[in-house]
Amino acid sequence: MGAGKYIAGIAAVLVAAEAAGSVVAGSSSELLRPPGIQSEADFIARCIKCGKCIEACPYAALHVAGPLNGSAAGTPCIDAREQACRLCADFPCVAACPTDALRDVNKRSDPHMGYARIDEEVCIAYKGYRCEVCYRVCPLIDEAITLDFQSMERDDIHTKFIPTISKHDCTGCGLCVERCAVSEPYVPIRIVTLAEQAKEQTRS
Amino acid sequence: MSMDITRRNFVKSTAIAMATAAAAGSVAGMVGCAPRVNEPINGDSTTKTLAVCRFCGCGCGVIVEVRNNKVVSVYGDPENDSNRGLNCVKGYYLSKILYAEDRLTKPLIREDNSLKGTDEGFREATWTEALDLVAEKLRETWKADKSRLAFWGSGQQPIVEGYAQAKFWKAGLLSNNIDPNARLCMASAVVGFMNVFQTDEPAGCYADIDDADVFITWGANMAEAHPMLYSRVMTRKISNPDVKHYDVTTLGTRTSATADKVIMFGNNGDLAITNCIAHYLIENETYDKQFVADHLQFKSGTENIGNAYEDGYDKSEIGQAVDATQSITFEEYAERLKPYTYEYASQISGASVEDIQELYELFANPNIKITSFWTMGVNQHNRGTWVNHNLHNIHLLSGHYCKPGDGGFSLTGQPSACGTAREVGTFCHRLPADLVVANEAHRRFSEAVWNLPEGYLDEIKTPGFHTTKIFRELSNGNIDFLWTAHNNWAQSMSNLTRFLGRGAEDKRGIFDAFIVVSEVYPTISTKYANVVLPAAMWVEREGQFGNGERRTAVFEKAVDPPGDAMWDLWMLMEIAKRVLNGETIDGEDAFDRLFGQWYDKDAGEFKFGTQREVCSSIWEEYRTFSNPTLNERAAAINTEKKLKMEGKQLAPYEEYIYNHGMTWPVREVDGKWLPTKWRFSYGPQEEGYDQIGIEMYGDKGLRKDISFYKSADHRPSVVFRPWEPPAEIPDDEYPFVLCTGRLLEHWHTGSMTRRVPALNTALPEALLDMNAADMEELGIKDGDRVKVISRWGECEITASSAGRTKPREKYLFAPFFAEETLINLVQQEMYCPLSKEPDYKKTCVRIEKVGA
Repeated sequence: MGAGKYIAGIAAVLVAAEAAGSVVAGSSSELLRPPGIQSEADFIARCIKCGKCIEACPYAALHVAGPLNGSAAGTPCIDAREQACRLCADFPCVAACPTDALRDVNKRSDPHMGYARIDEEVCIAYKGYRCEVCYRVCPLIDEAITLDFQSMERDDIHTKFIPTISKHDCTGCGLCVERCAVSEPYVPIRIVTLAEQAKEQTRS
Repeated sequence: MSMDITRRNFVKSTAIAMATAAAAGSVAGMVGCAPRVNEPINGDSTTKTLAVCRFCGCGCGVIVEVRNNKVVSVYGDPENDSNRGLNCVKGYYLSKILYAEDRLTKPLIREDNSLKGTDEGFREATWTEALDLVAEKLRETWKADKSRLAFWGSGQQPIVEGYAQAKFWKAGLLSNNIDPNARLCMASAVVGFMNVFQTDEPAGCYADIDDADVFITWGANMAEAHPMLYSRVMTRKISNPDVKHYDVTTLGTRTSATADKVIMFGNNGDLAITNCIAHYLIENETYDKQFVADHLQFKSGTENIGNAYEDGYDKSEIGQAVDATQSITFEEYAERLKPYTYEYASQISGASVEDIQELYELFANPNIKITSFWTMGVNQHNRGTWVNHNLHNIHLLSGHYCKPGDGGFSLTGQPSACGTAREVGTFCHRLPADLVVANEAHRRFSEAVWNLPEGYLDEIKTPGFHTTKIFRELSNGNIDFLWTAHNNWAQSMSNLTRFLGRGAEDKRGIFDAFIVVSEVYPTISTKYANVVLPAAMWVEREGQFGNGERRTAVFEKAVDPPGDAMWDLWMLMEIAKRVLNGETIDGEDAFDRLFGQWYDKDAGEFKFGTQREVCSSIWEEYRTFSNPTLNERAAAINTEKKLKMEGKQLAPYEEYIYNHGMTWPVREVDGKWLPTKWRFSYGPQEEGYDQIGIEMYGDKGLRKDISFYKSADHRPSVVFRPWEPPAEIPDDEYPFVLCTGRLLEHWHTGSMTRRVPALNTALPEALLDMNAADMEELGIKDGDRVKVISRWGECEITASSAGRTKPREKYLFAPFFAEETLINLVQQEMYCPLSKEPDYKKTCVRIEKVGA
């Protein structure tokens, strides 16, 4: 238990440090935000850091972004590997938000916090192992994550069961990240947050 | 002994091996010359040994890498023909199962019986103390009343260990109170095979997948429960878009998700659907007439058999009549089928007329190859044996049998349910190699192999207690001594409310009986133990598994067990020598007569220097059952009584290592041992056909070059089995139908996989899958805790509509891996009256929101 918290703490610091780096680089935070976020800019403009969403989360999935996050310090964020958003039917975090920084979600498929991305080099499904944990835990199974069946070279009895993410349908809840069965050398699935997507668009 | 792992096709397999070794975190030894089993790799201290996965019945071969007496990685064995180099995510993390922190490393003796049911009240003991105590209690019970002792074994027990256990129980104690947990998964399949073919286990093999045009899964969530075989099914499907998969099921699963067509049924409708198919095959004259003429005989059996609500059911008038059959004509069989029109089958099952007709049309088409797979949905069924019959019936009538890609295949759930429970015969009614205690010739043959006086086994001609009977009588206070190994009965048995003594006051015998549990980790079962014997796990000793395609494979000892944990076989010898102390057989010391060739009881050690030699020596005796010419007395009985024991012929031990497993019957041709992939199908032995078997016992020139030489009159029995209802029908009080089963990440009761951090992260909690409409009606949200309540008991669980399984309205699914949920507190204890296998698929329950 103690070890778990210690590791979680390290993870949080790492997340914070990564975010801080991006602040230094002159862009806004890349943190994974609660459901109901519309865009990072909109969220930052509205969030008054009151912590009500954090208090409302029944899964304790929401945390306060630490001081290394620059102007984002004090805002709510999710460490998906530690505890993903469980897409509650009544979205208590959204209901608790007094400033509409979180808004406009009614059903499980409404939120768009980001989308999942798989590292094909590390994911064992790409090597032909029957894993696909991310697919089976997805709250929008067969929509946000589907399986693509790909033949394997020089192997006439195995097929790769490739988890394939629909950017459009994926809510970015991060349950796939929390549950991924691989952690060495690192977890091969992560959430590309709205802020990160905005930055990628700017670059391209 | 060293064996060249890559004896064949090193180049071909290297690509896979490289990929998998890299994936499993090791590339040691994968460059340069071929690595060799049990030999250090140049340049470091890594050794590689041959093994088989510890989990399911797929029986995937693996290579185990060891450094400093620790398993550092495990990866798929490219040369094991069952899987050729890949595993599922459980297999990927196999090395981790050995190393959880709470391994049992010391014998434990319960000092405080009032704490039974908890982890408290034990003290650590020496082996001598523990073994003396166990043997004293067993001997005491044995001398007082043999009906009050029992051993509950497993389809996870390695073959030679199961063989020695059965020999001790049947020949040493002259007791039939020995049964395996395979009773909970494969018994209906076994009785089906025995009734239809008079020989157990599928005729086909996994390679059937590569040739099939149509797959039909019947009550089988193969995508999760048989992951690597399902990968092979998908390979066949994507390589040929015309290949179709039909999923016939009561529940939407991950298997349904990839099927081309899902046919949903309920109410034991599988019996009606299969009879409907048979009816139209005959009515429309689309059955294979020559196949029927050449190969089949027809029967009917006892009907209206009710259910085993009472403990005394088996001995009741109907209970004793359930196995009876009578010969009928083909016309009489056709007549019995007539009520099974599409409309009637649809009305009973809930499947549409069109869907049932589509299934019929598959079987009516002689130009396609149909592979049916079935498993727990069929076997864990109050008419499980009958459904097995009916599936064989439609394949046989249509001639879709015994040819590559074309046949019925019963999938197995445990790594050695076939190899040990079924082939060795660790059941209460069986002897090794398809022999049964009730048959006089079978007893004579077994006496010959075991070097016993003629008639010695007549004392065990009546079968003992089957599994549910053992636990029913335990709860009734009628069992004084129970020893269990390689299973976790306190989690996997049905109706745990009764069997764990949490129900009626007069059903708490569990607290009075002396219970011995051989285990590797603490489980719920060890909480009820009086003595816990810490066992060597998986590759901490040498062993053998026989998988679902009749493949026998060896796993080598790779590392030493931790602490004082010991090989189960050593425990057995030490207990047997104490219990049999002073007993004689034919004037000779009883222990020496049975086990003296392997074990020196005075020295307390095996008579061979290595476990390889011990296993090989036991194997050689076991192999005599299927190679009767090795024993003159046995050979004479085999000939005189026409037992055809060579039908299951096994090879010398080393062949299984050298060949990375082989499928029986294994035949010696020109000094080489060759496996059989397609039993009863004539063709070159070299290509996997049953040439030698048919030349020895069968007939040539029959339809499709098939000869069912093990069946009576060489004709399998098509037995008419009608529709009869489930043991429980949903009503206002219990409106839901609950199905339990396995999911991919965890295996059975989770005692191994839940100790693998990655697997526990992947699936940390058992969820009750519900239909969203039912949840809304009951005011239940995702993540809410609910009570599942049946006539038998209740438990709490978290509800989900996330959709991993997709139950229809009024259907539910929950996995049984979670000790904290203990879903089997709720399960009914009804079993198929023929196979005595419990029905885990349709207990009627209601759902209540906790705190509502």
